[in-house]
Amino acid sequence: MNTLTVRKVIFKTEELFELQLERGNIQFEPGACVALFSDSTESRPYSIAAGTGEEILRFLIRRVPEGIVSNWLAQRQPGDKVTASAPFGWFRPGHAVGSRSVFIATGTGIAPFLSYLRSNPQGAPELCLYGVRRQLEAFNLEELQQIDNFYLALSQEDDNNHFHGRINGLLEQIPFADDIHYYLCGLDTMIDETSSWLENHGVAYTQIHREIFFYEDGQL
Amino acid sequence: MKMDSSNQWHFTSKNEPRGYIQPQSLDELWFHAGTNCNLRCPFCLEGSKPGDNRIEFLTLADARRFIDEALELGVKKFSFTGGEPFVNPEFIQILDYALEFRPCLVLTNATEPLMNQIGAVLPLRDKPNSLNFRVSLDHPDPVKHDESRGRGNFKKALTTLGRLHQSGFGVSIARLILSGEDSASVDHAYTPYFESAGVPLDLTIIKFPDFHLPGSLPQVAEITETCMTRYLSGEQRDNFMCNFSKMIVRKNGQCGVYACTLVDDVENYDLGKTLHEAMEQRVLLGHHRCYSCFAGGASCSEG
Repeated sequence: MNTLTVRKVIFKTEELFELQLERGNIQFEPGACVALFSDSTESRPYSIAAGTGEEILRFLIRRVPEGIVSNWLAQRQPGDKVTASAPFGWFRPGHAVGSRSVFIATGTGIAPFLSYLRSNPQGAPELCLYGVRRQLEAFNLEELQQIDNFYLALSQEDDNNHFHGRINGLLEQIPFADDIHYYLCGLDTMIDETSSWLENHGVAYTQIHREIFFYEDGQL
Repeated sequence: MKMDSSNQWHFTSKNEPRGYIQPQSLDELWFHAGTNCNLRCPFCLEGSKPGDNRIEFLTLADARRFIDEALELGVKKFSFTGGEPFVNPEFIQILDYALEFRPCLVLTNATEPLMNQIGAVLPLRDKPNSLNFRVSLDHPDPVKHDESRGRGNFKKALTTLGRLHQSGFGVSIARLILSGEDSASVDHAYTPYFESAGVPLDLTIIKFPDFHLPGSLPQVAEITETCMTRYLSGEQRDNFMCNFSKMIVRKNGQCGVYACTLVDDVENYDLGKTLHEAMEQRVLLGHHRCYSCFAGGASCSEG
Protein backbone atom coordinates (compact mmCIF):
# COMPACT_ATOMS: atom_id res chain seq x y z
CA MET A 1 0.00 0.00 0.00
CA ASN A 2 1.01 3.61 -0.61
CA THR A 3 0.29 6.66 1.52
CA LEU A 4 -0.14 9.64 -0.78
CA THR A 5 -0.58 13.33 0.01
CA VAL A 6 -3.52 15.31 -1.33
CA ARG A 7 -2.39 18.12 -3.64
CA LYS A 8 -5.80 19.54 -4.61
CA VAL A 9 -9.50 18.76 -4.78
CA ILE A 10 -11.11 20.63 -7.67
CA PHE A 11 -14.90 20.53 -7.96
CA LYS A 12 -16.56 20.82 -11.37
CA THR A 13 -20.02 20.48 -9.90
CA GLU A 14 -21.28 19.48 -6.46
CA GLU A 15 -21.18 15.90 -7.67
CA LEU A 16 -18.02 15.79 -9.78
CA PHE A 17 -14.45 16.55 -8.77
CA GLU A 18 -10.83 15.95 -9.69
CA LEU A 19 -8.67 14.61 -6.89
CA GLN A 20 -4.96 15.30 -7.27
CA LEU A 21 -2.49 13.27 -5.22
CA GLU A 22 1.27 13.45 -4.95
CA ARG A 23 2.56 10.60 -7.05
CA GLY A 24 5.13 9.11 -4.71
CA ASN A 25 6.93 6.21 -6.37
CA ILE A 26 3.92 4.97 -8.30
CA GLN A 27 4.55 3.80 -11.86
CA PHE A 28 1.59 3.03 -14.08
CA GLU A 29 0.35 2.48 -17.61
CA PRO A 30 -2.53 4.50 -19.10
CA GLY A 31 -5.77 2.78 -18.18
CA ALA A 32 -4.52 1.64 -14.79
CA CYS A 33 -6.71 1.85 -11.68
CA VAL A 34 -5.74 2.47 -8.11
CA ALA A 35 -7.89 1.42 -5.16
CA LEU A 36 -8.29 4.43 -2.87
CA PHE A 37 -9.21 3.82 0.76
CA SER A 38 -11.36 5.85 3.14
CA ASP A 39 -10.50 6.06 6.83
CA SER A 40 -12.94 3.18 7.40
CA THR A 41 -10.67 1.02 5.21
CA GLU A 42 -13.36 0.71 2.56
CA SER A 43 -11.84 1.02 -0.88
CA ARG A 44 -12.98 1.66 -4.43
CA PRO A 45 -11.00 1.50 -7.66
CA TYR A 46 -10.50 4.73 -9.59
CA SER A 47 -8.86 5.08 -12.98
CA ILE A 48 -5.84 7.37 -13.21
CA ALA A 49 -6.45 10.39 -15.48
CA ALA A 50 -2.89 11.74 -15.31
CA GLY A 51 -0.24 11.17 -17.94
CA THR A 52 2.60 8.82 -17.12
CA GLY A 53 5.03 11.76 -17.20
CA GLU A 54 3.14 13.94 -14.72
CA GLU A 55 4.31 14.56 -11.16
CA ILE A 56 0.86 13.99 -9.73
CA LEU A 57 -1.91 11.42 -9.96
CA ARG A 58 -5.30 12.72 -11.09
CA PHE A 59 -8.62 10.98 -10.47
CA LEU A 60 -12.01 12.03 -11.83
CA ILE A 61 -14.58 11.14 -9.22
CA ARG A 62 -18.35 11.25 -9.02
CA ARG A 63 -19.80 11.48 -5.53
CA VAL A 64 -22.13 8.56 -5.13
CA PRO A 65 -25.07 9.16 -2.78
CA GLU A 66 -24.12 7.42 0.48
CA GLY A 67 -20.84 6.36 -1.16
CA ILE A 68 -18.40 5.88 1.71
CA VAL A 69 -15.23 6.37 -0.29
CA SER A 70 -16.26 9.02 -2.82
CA ASN A 71 -17.73 11.27 -0.13
CA TRP A 72 -14.72 10.82 2.13
CA LEU A 73 -12.38 11.71 -0.73
CA ALA A 74 -14.49 14.76 -1.60
CA GLN A 75 -13.86 16.11 1.90
CA ARG A 76 -10.07 15.88 1.73
CA GLN A 77 -7.92 18.98 2.05
CA PRO A 78 -4.44 19.68 0.64
CA GLY A 79 -1.88 17.91 2.82
CA ASP A 80 -4.26 15.13 3.93
CA LYS A 81 -3.09 11.54 3.47
CA VAL A 82 -4.85 8.95 1.34
CA THR A 83 -4.04 5.24 1.25
CA ALA A 84 -3.75 3.83 -2.25
CA SER A 85 -3.10 0.37 -3.66
CA ALA A 86 -0.51 -0.33 -6.30
CA PRO A 87 -1.81 0.36 -9.83
CA PHE A 88 -3.56 -2.49 -11.57
CA GLY A 89 -5.99 -2.95 -14.41
CA TRP A 90 -7.31 -4.78 -17.38
CA PHE A 91 -8.20 -1.83 -19.63
CA ARG A 92 -5.38 -0.48 -21.75
CA PRO A 93 -6.43 2.17 -24.30
CA GLY A 94 -4.27 2.11 -27.38
CA HIS A 95 -2.37 -0.91 -26.11
CA ALA A 96 -2.87 -3.21 -29.09
CA VAL A 97 0.40 -3.12 -31.01
CA GLY A 98 0.24 -1.69 -34.52
CA SER A 99 -3.44 -0.84 -34.25
CA ARG A 100 -5.55 2.29 -34.40
CA SER A 101 -8.06 3.23 -31.73
CA VAL A 102 -11.57 4.55 -31.22
CA PHE A 103 -12.37 5.87 -27.75
CA ILE A 104 -15.94 6.06 -26.43
CA ALA A 105 -16.61 7.36 -22.91
CA THR A 106 -19.37 8.60 -20.68
CA GLY A 107 -18.92 10.73 -17.55
CA THR A 108 -15.80 10.05 -15.53
CA GLY A 109 -15.10 7.18 -17.94
CA ILE A 110 -13.02 9.67 -19.91
CA ALA A 111 -10.23 9.28 -17.29
CA PRO A 112 -8.28 6.40 -18.87
CA PHE A 113 -8.44 8.11 -22.26
CA LEU A 114 -7.11 11.37 -20.81
CA SER A 115 -4.29 9.34 -19.27
CA TYR A 116 -3.52 7.79 -22.63
CA LEU A 117 -3.64 11.12 -24.50
CA ARG A 118 -1.47 12.85 -21.91
CA SER A 119 1.02 9.99 -22.02
CA ASN A 120 1.05 9.69 -25.84
CA PRO A 121 0.62 13.15 -27.35
CA GLN A 122 1.27 11.73 -30.82
CA GLY A 123 -1.14 8.83 -30.41
CA ALA A 124 -4.46 10.48 -31.16
CA PRO A 125 -7.35 8.10 -31.76
CA GLU A 126 -9.25 7.88 -35.03
CA LEU A 127 -12.32 9.08 -33.18
CA CYS A 128 -13.30 10.04 -29.63
CA LEU A 129 -16.93 10.16 -28.52
CA TYR A 130 -17.72 11.60 -25.07
CA GLY A 131 -21.15 11.65 -23.49
CA VAL A 132 -22.26 13.66 -20.46
CA ARG A 133 -25.57 15.10 -19.29
CA ARG A 134 -24.53 18.77 -19.47
CA GLN A 135 -21.45 20.54 -20.80
CA LEU A 136 -20.53 21.63 -17.29
CA GLU A 137 -19.94 17.97 -16.47
CA ALA A 138 -17.44 17.40 -19.28
CA PHE A 139 -13.89 17.05 -17.94
CA ASN A 140 -11.00 18.71 -19.81
CA LEU A 141 -13.08 19.67 -22.82
CA GLU A 142 -10.53 22.05 -24.35
CA GLU A 143 -7.88 19.35 -24.19
CA LEU A 144 -10.18 16.78 -25.79
CA GLN A 145 -11.18 19.18 -28.55
CA GLN A 146 -7.60 19.04 -29.80
CA ILE A 147 -8.45 15.59 -31.18
CA ASP A 148 -9.42 15.89 -34.85
CA ASN A 149 -12.48 13.69 -34.62
CA PHE A 150 -13.90 14.52 -31.21
CA TYR A 151 -17.63 14.65 -30.57
CA LEU A 152 -19.40 15.61 -27.36
CA ALA A 153 -22.92 14.34 -26.71
CA LEU A 154 -25.04 16.24 -24.19
CA SER A 155 -28.03 14.15 -23.15
CA GLN A 156 -29.81 16.81 -21.07
CA GLU A 157 -28.75 20.07 -22.70
CA ASP A 158 -29.07 21.57 -26.16
CA ASP A 159 -26.42 24.26 -26.78
CA ASN A 160 -26.27 24.17 -30.62
CA ASN A 161 -22.52 23.47 -30.52
CA HIS A 162 -22.65 19.81 -29.60
CA PHE A 163 -24.74 16.78 -30.35
CA HIS A 164 -27.93 16.77 -28.29
CA GLY A 165 -28.86 13.27 -27.16
CA ARG A 166 -27.34 10.09 -25.82
CA ILE A 167 -23.93 9.10 -27.09
CA ASN A 168 -25.49 6.20 -28.99
CA GLY A 169 -26.75 8.79 -31.44
CA LEU A 170 -23.15 9.35 -32.56
CA LEU A 171 -22.29 5.74 -33.31
CA GLU A 172 -22.69 6.29 -37.05
CA GLN A 173 -19.47 8.35 -36.87
CA ILE A 174 -17.47 5.24 -36.00
CA PRO A 175 -14.98 4.07 -38.64
CA PHE A 176 -14.46 0.38 -39.34
CA ALA A 177 -11.21 -1.31 -40.26
CA ASP A 178 -9.49 -4.54 -39.34
CA ASP A 179 -6.74 -2.72 -37.47
CA ILE A 180 -9.02 -0.58 -35.29
CA HIS A 181 -9.60 -1.49 -31.64
CA TYR A 182 -12.58 0.01 -29.83
CA TYR A 183 -12.27 1.11 -26.21
CA LEU A 184 -15.44 1.75 -24.22
CA CYS A 185 -15.51 3.19 -20.70
CA GLY A 186 -18.21 4.50 -18.42
CA LEU A 187 -21.86 3.57 -17.97
CA ASP A 188 -22.80 -0.11 -18.30
CA THR A 189 -25.76 0.45 -20.60
CA MET A 190 -23.66 2.53 -23.01
CA ILE A 191 -21.00 -0.18 -23.04
CA ASP A 192 -23.45 -3.03 -23.55
CA GLU A 193 -25.35 -1.24 -26.30
CA THR A 194 -22.22 -0.04 -28.07
CA SER A 195 -20.56 -3.47 -27.84
CA SER A 196 -23.63 -5.08 -29.42
CA TRP A 197 -23.79 -2.37 -32.07
CA LEU A 198 -20.13 -2.88 -32.98
CA GLU A 199 -20.47 -6.66 -33.18
CA ASN A 200 -23.60 -6.28 -35.29
CA HIS A 201 -21.49 -4.16 -37.64
CA GLY A 202 -18.91 -6.89 -37.99
CA VAL A 203 -16.32 -5.85 -35.41
CA ALA A 204 -14.56 -8.87 -33.88
CA TYR A 205 -15.15 -9.23 -30.14
CA THR A 206 -11.39 -9.47 -29.70
CA GLN A 207 -11.17 -5.83 -30.76
CA ILE A 208 -13.71 -4.48 -28.27
CA HIS A 209 -12.36 -3.49 -24.85
CA ARG A 210 -14.58 -2.50 -21.97
CA GLU A 211 -14.39 -0.87 -18.55
CA ILE A 212 -17.58 -0.27 -16.54
CA PHE A 213 -17.49 2.61 -14.06
CA PHE A 214 -21.16 2.99 -13.25
CA TYR A 215 -24.38 1.06 -13.56
CA GLU A 216 -27.55 2.69 -14.81
CA ASP A 217 -29.38 1.66 -11.64
CA GLY A 218 -26.75 3.21 -9.36
CA GLN A 219 -24.76 0.10 -8.44
CA LEU A 220 -21.00 0.50 -7.78
CA MET B 1 8.80 -24.72 7.46
CA LYS B 2 6.36 -23.00 9.78
CA MET B 3 4.48 -25.98 11.17
CA ASP B 4 3.39 -25.33 14.72
CA SER B 5 4.56 -28.22 16.86
CA SER B 6 2.36 -27.26 19.80
CA ASN B 7 -0.20 -29.59 21.24
CA GLN B 8 -2.88 -27.19 20.12
CA TRP B 9 -2.05 -27.95 16.53
CA HIS B 10 -1.34 -31.68 16.77
CA PHE B 11 -4.27 -32.45 19.05
CA THR B 12 -7.91 -31.45 19.07
CA SER B 13 -9.52 -29.45 21.87
CA LYS B 14 -10.40 -32.80 23.49
CA ASN B 15 -6.73 -33.80 23.36
CA GLU B 16 -7.22 -36.46 20.70
CA PRO B 17 -4.63 -36.80 17.92
CA ARG B 18 -5.72 -34.56 15.04
CA GLY B 19 -6.50 -36.20 11.72
CA TYR B 20 -3.93 -35.74 8.99
CA ILE B 21 -2.96 -36.53 5.43
CA GLN B 22 0.54 -37.68 4.54
CA PRO B 23 0.96 -36.46 0.95
CA GLN B 24 1.80 -39.20 -1.54
CA SER B 25 2.34 -37.40 -4.83
CA LEU B 26 2.25 -34.05 -6.59
CA ASP B 27 -0.25 -34.62 -9.38
CA GLU B 28 -1.55 -31.07 -9.53
CA LEU B 29 0.10 -27.77 -8.68
CA TRP B 30 -2.14 -24.78 -8.06
CA PHE B 31 -1.00 -21.20 -8.28
CA HIS B 32 -2.75 -18.31 -6.59
CA ALA B 33 -2.53 -15.44 -9.08
CA GLY B 34 -3.37 -12.86 -6.35
CA THR B 35 -6.45 -11.65 -4.45
CA ASN B 36 -6.83 -8.58 -6.66
CA CYS B 37 -10.12 -8.94 -8.50
CA ASN B 38 -12.37 -6.77 -10.62
CA LEU B 39 -15.39 -7.94 -8.62
CA ARG B 40 -16.28 -7.61 -4.95
CA CYS B 41 -18.43 -10.65 -4.17
CA PRO B 42 -19.61 -10.71 -0.55
CA PHE B 43 -19.21 -14.49 -0.25
CA CYS B 44 -15.69 -14.68 -1.72
CA LEU B 45 -13.76 -17.34 0.14
CA GLU B 46 -10.56 -15.43 -0.64
CA GLY B 47 -11.88 -11.99 0.35
CA SER B 48 -10.80 -10.73 -3.07
CA LYS B 49 -11.68 -7.27 -4.36
CA PRO B 50 -10.21 -4.52 -6.56
CA GLY B 51 -6.75 -3.54 -5.37
CA ASP B 52 -6.57 -6.25 -2.69
CA ASN B 53 -3.10 -7.63 -2.03
CA ARG B 54 -3.59 -10.03 0.88
CA ILE B 55 -2.11 -12.47 -1.62
CA GLU B 56 0.15 -10.63 -4.05
CA PHE B 57 0.35 -11.05 -7.80
CA LEU B 58 2.20 -14.20 -8.77
CA THR B 59 5.18 -13.21 -10.88
CA LEU B 60 6.39 -14.93 -14.02
CA ALA B 61 9.78 -15.54 -12.38
CA ASP B 62 8.19 -17.28 -9.38
CA ALA B 63 5.84 -19.29 -11.56
CA ARG B 64 8.69 -20.52 -13.75
CA ARG B 65 10.68 -21.63 -10.70
CA PHE B 66 7.83 -23.69 -9.26
CA ILE B 67 6.75 -25.08 -12.62
CA ASP B 68 10.28 -26.31 -13.19
CA GLU B 69 10.45 -27.87 -9.73
CA ALA B 70 7.00 -29.45 -10.10
CA LEU B 71 8.07 -31.09 -13.34
CA GLU B 72 10.93 -32.75 -11.45
CA LEU B 73 8.32 -34.18 -9.06
CA GLY B 74 6.18 -35.59 -11.86
CA VAL B 75 3.32 -33.08 -11.79
CA LYS B 76 0.49 -33.83 -14.24
CA LYS B 77 -1.31 -30.49 -14.47
CA PHE B 78 -1.22 -26.86 -13.40
CA SER B 79 -4.21 -24.93 -12.13
CA PHE B 80 -4.68 -21.23 -11.43
CA THR B 81 -7.06 -19.37 -9.16
CA GLY B 82 -7.47 -15.90 -7.67
CA GLY B 83 -8.86 -13.27 -7.28
CA GLU B 84 -9.40 -12.99 -10.96
CA PRO B 85 -6.25 -14.40 -12.58
CA PHE B 86 -6.55 -12.17 -15.65
CA VAL B 87 -6.13 -9.07 -13.45
CA ASN B 88 -2.54 -10.23 -12.89
CA PRO B 89 -0.45 -8.34 -15.48
CA GLU B 90 1.86 -11.32 -16.10
CA PHE B 91 -0.83 -13.98 -16.16
CA ILE B 92 -0.93 -14.68 -19.88
CA GLN B 93 2.86 -15.02 -19.95
CA ILE B 94 2.64 -17.41 -17.00
CA LEU B 95 0.03 -19.50 -18.82
CA ASP B 96 2.12 -19.44 -21.97
CA TYR B 97 5.05 -20.93 -20.05
CA ALA B 98 3.02 -23.53 -18.13
CA LEU B 99 1.29 -24.75 -21.30
CA GLU B 100 4.64 -25.71 -22.75
CA PHE B 101 4.74 -28.57 -20.25
CA ARG B 102 1.35 -29.62 -18.90
CA PRO B 103 -2.41 -29.06 -19.33
CA CYS B 104 -3.73 -26.05 -17.41
CA LEU B 105 -6.98 -25.09 -15.71
CA VAL B 106 -7.94 -21.47 -14.99
CA LEU B 107 -10.72 -20.42 -12.61
CA THR B 108 -12.20 -17.16 -13.87
CA ASN B 109 -15.25 -14.93 -13.56
CA ALA B 110 -15.04 -14.49 -17.36
CA THR B 111 -15.86 -10.78 -17.26
CA GLU B 112 -13.87 -7.72 -18.39
CA PRO B 113 -10.32 -8.82 -17.44
CA LEU B 114 -10.62 -11.92 -19.61
CA MET B 115 -12.92 -10.35 -22.21
CA ASN B 116 -10.49 -7.49 -22.80
CA GLN B 117 -7.54 -9.84 -23.26
CA ILE B 118 -9.20 -12.64 -25.17
CA GLY B 119 -7.31 -11.65 -28.31
CA ALA B 120 -4.09 -12.52 -26.46
CA VAL B 121 -5.61 -15.69 -25.00
CA LEU B 122 -6.72 -17.25 -28.31
CA PRO B 123 -3.16 -18.05 -29.51
CA LEU B 124 -2.76 -20.28 -26.42
CA ARG B 125 -4.86 -22.85 -28.30
CA ASP B 126 -1.75 -23.61 -30.29
CA LYS B 127 0.38 -24.57 -27.30
CA PRO B 128 1.47 -28.19 -26.81
CA ASN B 129 -0.98 -28.73 -23.92
CA SER B 130 -4.68 -28.05 -23.43
CA LEU B 131 -6.13 -25.05 -21.62
CA ASN B 132 -9.42 -25.37 -19.73
CA PHE B 133 -11.46 -22.61 -18.15
CA ARG B 134 -13.78 -23.01 -15.19
CA VAL B 135 -16.21 -20.10 -15.23
CA SER B 136 -18.07 -19.02 -12.11
CA LEU B 137 -21.83 -19.07 -12.67
CA ASP B 138 -22.97 -19.10 -9.08
CA HIS B 139 -26.65 -19.67 -9.65
CA PRO B 140 -28.82 -20.66 -12.62
CA ASP B 141 -30.90 -17.53 -12.05
CA PRO B 142 -29.02 -14.59 -13.63
CA VAL B 143 -30.62 -12.15 -11.18
CA LYS B 144 -29.29 -14.08 -8.19
CA HIS B 145 -25.84 -14.41 -9.78
CA ASP B 146 -25.75 -10.68 -10.46
CA GLU B 147 -26.89 -9.75 -6.94
CA SER B 148 -23.40 -10.62 -5.74
CA ARG B 149 -21.30 -10.20 -8.86
CA GLY B 150 -22.80 -7.04 -10.33
CA ARG B 151 -25.44 -6.44 -12.92
CA GLY B 152 -24.89 -7.99 -16.31
CA ASN B 153 -22.11 -10.29 -15.19
CA PHE B 154 -24.07 -13.52 -15.67
CA LYS B 155 -24.64 -12.61 -19.30
CA LYS B 156 -20.99 -11.62 -19.80
CA ALA B 157 -19.71 -14.80 -18.17
CA LEU B 158 -22.08 -16.96 -20.19
CA THR B 159 -21.13 -15.23 -23.45
CA THR B 160 -17.42 -15.63 -22.70
CA LEU B 161 -17.98 -19.29 -21.74
CA GLY B 162 -19.53 -19.89 -25.14
CA ARG B 163 -16.77 -18.04 -26.97
CA LEU B 164 -14.06 -20.00 -25.18
CA HIS B 165 -15.76 -23.28 -26.06
CA GLN B 166 -16.27 -22.27 -29.68
CA SER B 167 -12.61 -21.23 -29.85
CA GLY B 168 -11.56 -24.75 -28.92
CA PHE B 169 -10.82 -24.42 -25.20
CA GLY B 170 -12.20 -26.81 -22.61
CA VAL B 171 -14.83 -25.26 -20.34
CA SER B 172 -16.73 -26.09 -17.17
CA ILE B 173 -18.57 -24.02 -14.60
CA ALA B 174 -18.45 -23.62 -10.83
CA ARG B 175 -21.49 -22.90 -8.72
CA LEU B 176 -22.44 -22.53 -5.09
CA ILE B 177 -24.31 -25.29 -3.27
CA LEU B 178 -27.62 -23.88 -2.08
CA SER B 179 -28.97 -24.73 1.33
CA GLY B 180 -31.19 -27.83 1.12
CA GLU B 181 -30.91 -27.95 -2.66
CA ASP B 182 -31.95 -30.72 -5.02
CA SER B 183 -28.59 -30.83 -6.81
CA ALA B 184 -29.84 -32.50 -9.98
CA SER B 185 -32.60 -29.97 -10.50
CA VAL B 186 -30.30 -27.01 -9.83
CA ASP B 187 -27.83 -28.41 -12.36
CA HIS B 188 -30.65 -28.97 -14.84
CA ALA B 189 -31.74 -25.33 -14.51
CA TYR B 190 -28.54 -24.30 -16.33
CA THR B 191 -29.56 -26.22 -19.45
CA PRO B 192 -31.29 -23.37 -21.34
CA TYR B 193 -28.32 -21.10 -20.68
CA PHE B 194 -25.85 -23.71 -21.87
CA GLU B 195 -27.97 -24.13 -24.98
CA SER B 196 -27.99 -20.38 -25.67
CA ALA B 197 -24.23 -20.19 -25.17
CA GLY B 198 -23.64 -23.12 -27.50
CA VAL B 199 -21.83 -25.23 -24.93
CA PRO B 200 -22.48 -28.94 -24.24
CA LEU B 201 -25.65 -29.45 -22.19
CA ASP B 202 -23.82 -31.95 -19.99
CA LEU B 203 -21.07 -29.48 -19.15
CA THR B 204 -19.15 -30.32 -15.98
CA ILE B 205 -20.51 -28.37 -13.00
CA ILE B 206 -18.23 -28.13 -9.96
CA LYS B 207 -20.20 -27.39 -6.79
CA PHE B 208 -18.83 -25.62 -3.74
CA PRO B 209 -20.28 -25.29 -0.25
CA ASP B 210 -20.05 -22.02 1.69
CA PHE B 211 -16.40 -21.91 2.71
CA HIS B 212 -16.81 -18.72 4.79
CA LEU B 213 -14.62 -15.62 4.58
CA PRO B 214 -10.84 -15.85 5.11
CA GLY B 215 -9.91 -15.66 8.77
CA SER B 216 -13.40 -16.64 9.93
CA LEU B 217 -13.82 -19.38 12.53
CA PRO B 218 -17.14 -21.16 11.99
CA GLN B 219 -17.94 -23.94 14.44
CA VAL B 220 -17.30 -27.29 12.80
CA ALA B 221 -16.50 -30.70 14.22
CA GLU B 222 -12.83 -31.41 14.76
CA ILE B 223 -11.26 -34.20 12.73
CA THR B 224 -9.35 -36.79 14.72
CA GLU B 225 -7.10 -39.61 13.57
CA THR B 226 -9.88 -41.98 14.53
CA CYS B 227 -12.37 -40.08 12.34
CA MET B 228 -10.06 -40.53 9.35
CA THR B 229 -9.96 -44.30 9.69
CA ARG B 230 -13.42 -45.00 11.10
CA TYR B 231 -15.46 -42.91 8.66
CA LEU B 232 -13.27 -42.81 5.54
CA SER B 233 -11.88 -45.51 3.33
CA GLY B 234 -8.32 -45.45 2.04
CA GLU B 235 -9.63 -44.35 -1.34
CA GLN B 236 -11.52 -41.45 0.24
CA ARG B 237 -8.43 -40.37 2.11
CA ASP B 238 -6.47 -40.48 -1.12
CA ASN B 239 -8.99 -38.10 -2.69
CA PHE B 240 -8.19 -35.27 -0.29
CA MET B 241 -6.56 -32.53 -2.37
CA CYS B 242 -3.73 -32.18 0.12
CA ASN B 243 -2.77 -35.75 -0.75
CA PHE B 244 -1.92 -34.98 -4.34
CA SER B 245 -1.68 -31.21 -4.78
CA LYS B 246 -0.14 -28.06 -3.39
CA MET B 247 -0.69 -24.34 -3.96
CA ILE B 248 1.82 -21.56 -4.48
CA VAL B 249 0.94 -18.33 -2.66
CA ARG B 250 2.89 -15.08 -2.76
CA LYS B 251 2.79 -12.97 0.40
CA ASN B 252 5.11 -10.23 1.59
CA GLY B 253 7.28 -10.50 -1.47
CA GLN B 254 7.97 -14.23 -1.38
CA CYS B 255 6.23 -17.45 -2.31
CA GLY B 256 5.21 -20.23 0.04
CA VAL B 257 3.91 -23.70 -0.73
CA TYR B 258 0.52 -24.20 0.89
CA ALA B 259 -1.26 -27.44 1.62
CA CYS B 260 -4.24 -26.72 -0.61
CA THR B 261 -6.25 -24.02 -2.32
CA LEU B 262 -8.50 -23.27 0.66
CA VAL B 263 -6.19 -22.74 3.62
CA ASP B 264 -4.02 -19.81 2.58
CA ASP B 265 -5.32 -17.68 5.47
CA VAL B 266 -3.56 -19.79 8.12
CA GLU B 267 0.23 -19.68 8.26
CA ASN B 268 0.40 -23.23 9.65
CA TYR B 269 -0.38 -24.42 6.15
CA ASP B 270 2.64 -22.72 4.65
CA LEU B 271 4.67 -25.90 4.28
CA GLY B 272 7.92 -24.43 3.03
CA LYS B 273 9.68 -22.52 0.30
CA THR B 274 10.14 -25.43 -2.08
CA LEU B 275 7.87 -28.19 -3.29
CA HIS B 276 10.39 -30.83 -2.25
CA GLU B 277 10.31 -29.50 1.30
CA ALA B 278 6.52 -29.19 1.35
CA MET B 279 5.92 -32.71 0.09
CA GLU B 280 7.60 -34.09 3.20
CA GLN B 281 5.15 -32.34 5.52
CA ARG B 282 2.18 -34.07 7.09
CA VAL B 283 -0.97 -31.93 6.62
CA LEU B 284 -2.93 -31.65 9.84
CA LEU B 285 -6.66 -31.21 9.22
CA GLY B 286 -7.25 -28.33 11.60
CA HIS B 287 -8.79 -25.71 9.30
CA HIS B 288 -12.56 -25.32 9.28
CA ARG B 289 -12.43 -25.85 5.50
CA CYS B 290 -10.76 -29.24 6.08
CA TYR B 291 -14.10 -30.32 7.47
CA SER B 292 -15.73 -29.55 4.10
CA CYS B 293 -13.35 -32.04 2.49
CA PHE B 294 -13.92 -34.56 5.27
CA ALA B 295 -17.71 -34.31 5.33
CA GLY B 296 -18.54 -33.64 1.72
CA GLY B 297 -15.53 -34.60 -0.32
CA ALA B 298 -15.16 -31.02 -1.59
CA SER B 299 -12.40 -30.63 -4.13
CA CYS B 300 -11.21 -27.81 -6.35
CA SER B 301 -9.61 -30.39 -8.61
CA GLU B 302 -11.22 -31.45 -11.86
CA GLY B 303 -10.66 -34.84 -13.42
